Amino acid sequence: MPTIRVHDTDIHYLHTPGRPSENPAPTLVCIHGLGTDSLASFYLTLAAPLAAAGVDMLFYDLRGHGNSGRPSSGYQVGDFVADLEGLLSELDVRPPVHLIGNSFGGTVAFGFAAAHPDKVASLVSIESEPPTEQWALRVGEVLENSKHELSRAETYQLISLQFGDHHARLSRQAYRRLAETSMVEEIPSGPMLDLTDLSRITVPVLNIVGSDGFQSDDPYLLEGVLPDCQTVVIQDQDHSVLVEAHRQVRDLLLDWVFSHHPVAAAPGAQA
Amino acid sequence: MTVDDSRTSEVLGEVNDMINKITRKYGSPPVQVTMDTFFHSELELESIDLVTLGVMLAERYGDDVSMAEFLADKDLDDVIALRVGEVVDYVVSCLDVPTTVD
Repeated sequence: MPTIRVHDTDIHYLHTPGRPSENPAPTLVCIHGLGTDSLASFYLTLAAPLAAAGVDMLFYDLRGHGNSGRPSSGYQVGDFVADLEGLLSELDVRPPVHLIGNSFGGTVAFGFAAAHPDKVASLVSIESEPPTEQWALRVGEVLENSKHELSRAETYQLISLQFGDHHARLSRQAYRRLAETSMVEEIPSGPMLDLTDLSRITVPVLNIVGSDGFQSDDPYLLEGVLPDCQTVVIQDQDHSVLVEAHRQVRDLLLDWVFSHHPVAAAPGAQA
Repeated sequence: MTVDDSRTSEVLGEVNDMINKITRKYGSPPVQVTMDTFFHSELELESIDLVTLGVMLAERYGDDVSMAEFLADKDLDDVIALRVGEVVDYVVSCLDVPTTVD
């Protein structure tokens, strides 16, 4: 199980090498979401088809998640951005990279693109938004409510009845993460991006959202604040679009990566 | 015992050892898995543990055995309901089956 020490935390990662080329396409870095999520949601859905297409891919577990270390503090968005910067540097990944973030992972990707514009080739946001003050208010409420609800035994009975024992077990794990660390307090704190910061994220952004997801009120909002953003709404999907509609997400990503680096598209690459 | 049965039994034994390595880190007591054991509901393993098992399988049997490839086209419900035997059968299908058994 490969791990590498970044900012005093062991970060678990998996690298699936791309097809050797004189002009290799940028590495595609996948960043998962909060709570019960881990690199598995990307790795088990996208690694095989994109590797078969020759794409170089890096998957990693955010601090506090999956098989990475779980420090008690250090959970501001800036900490996650610093981890990504350290990871790319330690692993000698050549910039620029394509960033793909699911939910909170997309928030980290936006933070990274704002802090290191020269290191990003493009950004794919899945059911995600940048770390703004408005985002911090919403996510702060969600985290507080989650921690409160998951501290009650009745909640797990309800989750078991409605979604099954598997989800109840995952929820217990998520609660441990929230209870044993300062995630709830720190994630919504720290410096956020304003409209001027967002206007400087000039890399191409693909914004994938579910029609019933977190941005259902205004799926095209990001197109108004980011210079180069296009939105794809996947119908009849909620916030779990990555795992529930992984074949559509896979096809969108293949088109996106190869349209931004046509040289990498070897004959039959998208078979 | 046929050649296939022998190979399946051998792989099941190795997968059992790998699963015990994973469950040990959670402080769980040793388990003896069968082809019918469910990863999630019985062993309480999560998707990140399937990734770890996949890395172990690739280290043991080579990169042709790819958990990512095996699961890429499955839906979430199929992954949640995954049995040990499905993984064992997949590994066996990736191996060169010998024509004789010593």
